[in-house]
Amino acid sequence: VLILVRSPLPRLRALLQRCWGQLERGLWPVVLGGQSPSWGPALAVQGPALVPQGINDAGESSTEAPSLLESILWMAAPKQRRTIEVNRSRRRHPSKLIEVKRNIDVCPECGNLKQKHVLCGYCYAKVKEETRLIRMEIHKKEGGPFNAPTVETVVLYEGEKPPEKDAGKRIIERTRKRPSWFVQN
Amino acid sequence: MRLSVAAAISHGRVYRRLGLSPRSRLDLLRNLVTALVRHERIETPWARADEMRGYAERLIDYAKRGDKDERAMRMADFWLTEKDLIHKLFKVLAPRFQPHPGGYTRLLQIPNRDGLDRAKMAVIELKGNPLPPLVRPRRDSDKTLLNQLLKGYRQDAQRAAAA
Repeated sequence: VLILVRSPLPRLRALLQRCWGQLERGLWPVVLGGQSPSWGPALAVQGPALVPQGINDAGESSTEAPSLLESILWMAAPKQRRTIEVNRSRRRHPSKLIEVKRNIDVCPECGNLKQKHVLCGYCYAKVKEETRLIRMEIHKKEGGPFNAPTVETVVLYEGEKPPEKDAGKRIIERTRKRPSWFVQN
Repeated sequence: MRLSVAAAISHGRVYRRLGLSPRSRLDLLRNLVTALVRHERIETPWARADEMRGYAERLIDYAKRGDKDERAMRMADFWLTEKDLIHKLFKVLAPRFQPHPGGYTRLLQIPNRDGLDRAKMAVIELKGNPLPPLVRPRRDSDKTLLNQLLKGYRQDAQRAAAA
């Protein structure tokens, strides 16, 4: 039961109100039910002596010795030896093997091997040699450089007469029998 | 995100880079065209032969206009360094190719060069040249089923026409 006490003296009432306000705000040390208010120790210490500087000092003194190890350039290196299984898998991967060629055929003329899209080496060498001999005859006939004729040319072998349709052409004669693969037309 | 430099992309470029410079490339091709007109069959790396083929065929197209044409004569004068070949071009090659609309050259690949570089080689020749032929056209053997049936059909038609 709250009992309102109204003091007859106004100054005493004002003082009581001020004290109650301070108690409410916690500015007054209050003892409730026998608990003592907590008092911290009030130490009087000198400023610079107790400021913790030990951390910075310890850091600065220790970096002078290992600076050589941290300033050189470290490069990547393998940590473990690669096992033979891993090595074999890498070396024998299909992308690293040589591709098998499946475009090799037999030349129907001479029977040598040739690639499908390439001329037969033996047959081409045969034709090249015959061309070289024909060009030697042409050179003998022309006599010198820059004497290209202004008419067509026809090549005749032993015992051949120039056909009628090749009437006005320059004739180059080869002293051998006509080869079977050089068809006259 | 751009993954390659714009200078290293060559999409759609048709001309190969040969020789030391663009002028050197033209000189190289000019020498090859002169050699082709003189010898009518030359053996050269495939890239150069392929590059030269277009220029040779266009030169023959110009020559077909006739030697009175000013542009044709200027082209022949530039492209043929040996001037006796200009006469051969207008008097021999132009009449030879007059009935043909295009395709005056034949480009065939030959086995790689024997030297250290093993370069891809080709032989390019003008059609209708007097030299021995490089490839003989092969007809299918007469013993195949289709050819035997066609032969029988031809004989039946002849017998029906004779009777």
